[in-house]
Amino acid sequence: MDILSLLPPWLLTHGVALLVVLPLLAGAAMAVIPRERIAWTITFMVMLICMLCALTLALQVIDQGRLSYKMGGWEPPYGIEYVVDALSAPVLLLISAMAVICLFYASPSVKAEVEPKKRAAFYGAFLICAAGLLGMVVTGDAFNVFVFLEVSSISTYVLVAMGHSRDRRALRAAYDYLILGSIGATFFVIGIGFLYMETGTLNMADMSNILDGLDGGSRVAQVGFAFIVIGLGLKLAMFPLHMWLPGAYAHAPSFVTIFLASTATKAALYLLLRFAFTIFDLSFDYVVTILSQFVLVLAVVGMVFASIQAIFQTDVRRVLAFSSIAQVGYILLGLSFLTLSGLTASYVHLINHAFIKGGLFLAVGAMWYRFGITRVADFRGLSKTMPWTMSAFTISGLSLIGVPLTAGFVSKLQLATAAWERGYGWAVGVILFSSILALVYIGRILRVAYFETPPQINGVEVLKNEAPLIMLIPMWILAILSIVIGINAGWVVDAAGRAAELLIPTQMIGRGL
Amino acid sequence: MSGHIILDLGLISMLLVIAFAIIRMRSLFAVVMLQGVYSLVCAAWFVSLDAVDVAFTEAAVGAGVSTVLMLAAMLLADRQSDEVSLRRQIAPIIIVIASGLMLFYAIGDMPIYGDANSPANSHVGAGYLDKTAKDIHIPNVVTAVLASYRGFDTFGETVVIFAAGLGVLLLLGLNGNAGKWQACPNGVSIGLGQSPYAQLGEDQPKVSPKAEVATNLPKEKKTIAKKTSQSKGRPRKAVPKGDVS
Amino acid sequence: MNEHGILRVVSKLLIPFIAIFAFYVQFHGDYGPGGGFQAGVILAASVILYALIFGLEAAKSAVPPSWVRFGMAMGVFLYGGTGVATWLLGGEFLNYSVFTPDHPSHGQHYGILLVELGVLLAVASVMLAIFYAFGSRPVNHPGED
Repeated sequence: MDILSLLPPWLLTHGVALLVVLPLLAGAAMAVIPRERIAWTITFMVMLICMLCALTLALQVIDQGRLSYKMGGWEPPYGIEYVVDALSAPVLLLISAMAVICLFYASPSVKAEVEPKKRAAFYGAFLICAAGLLGMVVTGDAFNVFVFLEVSSISTYVLVAMGHSRDRRALRAAYDYLILGSIGATFFVIGIGFLYMETGTLNMADMSNILDGLDGGSRVAQVGFAFIVIGLGLKLAMFPLHMWLPGAYAHAPSFVTIFLASTATKAALYLLLRFAFTIFDLSFDYVVTILSQFVLVLAVVGMVFASIQAIFQTDVRRVLAFSSIAQVGYILLGLSFLTLSGLTASYVHLINHAFIKGGLFLAVGAMWYRFGITRVADFRGLSKTMPWTMSAFTISGLSLIGVPLTAGFVSKLQLATAAWERGYGWAVGVILFSSILALVYIGRILRVAYFETPPQINGVEVLKNEAPLIMLIPMWILAILSIVIGINAGWVVDAAGRAAELLIPTQMIGRGL
Repeated sequence: MSGHIILDLGLISMLLVIAFAIIRMRSLFAVVMLQGVYSLVCAAWFVSLDAVDVAFTEAAVGAGVSTVLMLAAMLLADRQSDEVSLRRQIAPIIIVIASGLMLFYAIGDMPIYGDANSPANSHVGAGYLDKTAKDIHIPNVVTAVLASYRGFDTFGETVVIFAAGLGVLLLLGLNGNAGKWQACPNGVSIGLGQSPYAQLGEDQPKVSPKAEVATNLPKEKKTIAKKTSQSKGRPRKAVPKGDVS
Repeated sequence: MNEHGILRVVSKLLIPFIAIFAFYVQFHGDYGPGGGFQAGVILAASVILYALIFGLEAAKSAVPPSWVRFGMAMGVFLYGGTGVATWLLGGEFLNYSVFTPDHPSHGQHYGILLVELGVLLAVASVMLAIFYAFGSRPVNHPGED
């Protein structure tokens, strides 16, 4: 690659570690930086550098395949290894790019929602959260995953609780998330402990080799796998374990909701793929059973049930939160087919949904910023009072439903095709039905916004009051991205295809069918 | 039966008794104290399992500092916990029993405690023992693993602790003066009397497109918010929960 | 001022030894059980004991909250900074051997010393921060002690 030869060689070797270390150190610096402006600038620069690092890594992966970095210079089974491959590179790019996009939006939004003295530390918590998510994805060591899961979780609880200056219920939501998140982390770490007991190593690649040699291992490995799926299931809001999500999304500061909705569950989903398909694999019967039966059922129930719940919510952010749970169901459905096309569809939807949901929450945040509204009923006439914001919302909303020429259509088409190939005709029906439900809950918001008149205050109609340009830019970037992917999805599908090939090696294709 | 096993069994049964006592207690003061006791017994048990470093940490953190911190937190809250209705206990009990059964299911295939040939003791674990003597030359292998071989994990743990401190800083403040600032939209609130600043528009019927920057507002807005709260009771409480209707 | 006379005298005697013990645990960590985590907690405990006996305000004037805030960040910096230093010397992140290329094990010793100091600073500061934060809130039950 030409671009790679232009970059300093130091970055090519150490960029993997820089991606995580830089935001961690900058996050620590925020505790002592008093000025909000400086804090925002540093945060923005740091995340920009991270995005460039992630981009470089993605190019390197295309060029050279798997990258590995030895932390502390120790050889892998002894030291911690960082690994970037076709599966993790797109997720890294997604997380860092979404952070940069959110940060554009943050400067006005945080001014309105966070206490002045605390804004610098707030950005610090955000940096640590982002670093935690990046660390979870980039690491090749099972216990290091847990450490960074904790790094991101602890800062996420704080970030959610910071919504308290807007709505006191944020504290309750953060508390619920804290308790459930800790239970999830406990399940996860017990699972890791069992894997260590079975294999005697924490390095993922080493673990995978040893488990292969043991032909799936004993009951210890089976229980370990179940605990890991449950622990990650809580983090990624798999259907019956999703209770923390609506509250957290609905009451966190807008900026936090946008970032979490588009990255946090995605990082956990990535981990599920990583653990289920690369550490364990489909030659073990219990993996096939858990994924193709339990996860399948939970995915389908989640898709339908969460979509129905979304219809009955009064708060737009809760509508979108329940919709997120349903979308996690889509991704898990693709995963549970255990086929190449299913995993590709799953991965495509993972990326698309991040853009779509990010765009929707960006628009909703801007509406609160101007009018202090989040309820569906208060959206009256927003097409007239905030036309640009509302059109961005509409585009992302249509994409969520899966209207042709949008990103949502691409991923749903992929998923339906994969279901058909797998012989699950009924799953195509479920996807259609869930999309109709999405049409109902998004349509309900659009109807209020487009066909009702703006509210009146003392007999005078509320005037047009568009969101500031710095908020409009990120939401339009995501809305346009939705359409671009809808028209030409080749690059996303290619990236997903490469990731899926990594998950199911050729000799495994057809296992578990 | 060797004395070691009797000691272990004794300590484990004490842990069980304390755990049940904690669950049954209603006085939070007693619960906090019992948690300290639990940690101390735990630490003793870790010593008997030859995990001295872990025992030390458990004694210092669990029995020492966290008891004081829990007491300080309890002073701010209630002294008694409320009764939890039996109906709400059913689901957690089922979950606990199910996970317990899963753990028991695995026990049969676990290596015997202290087995030198178990994977955990033979693969990487044994490697650390050899490598520390060769690479680092310090007697305490635990320190070598924590600070050097897996030093990056410890860096992450340091950040976890830092994040906890940062969270306390953000939510409480070191001088106990946080949490009074209120967020407000940078425009005019048009919510249906539900939002705390719902009546903002009363004096200014038209929305000024260039509304003031939010940071300048709090003082003015607070007075207005007070007025509304006097006239409308407590508007925040009036917000519907937004659950499934 | 005569309240809890015995406690005051005993704790005044004990506190310096607790602090010294923290440093013993810190620097003896290479040879016996202990290290930055435990030492940090013990160091914080000595200040917390002081606060419990002599009052929060006295403790705050001895160890001001601004130091605590600074110490939290410095702890992470010291740890991460060691890693950055190894980067600058051309090694991987936290590869302490590059400090003394001739004797890798010496470099490991320096590195371990530095990162453990970072852990000590971070843990002690955060424990104090949490204690200050809870202790400074107005109490709901004024009647009780």
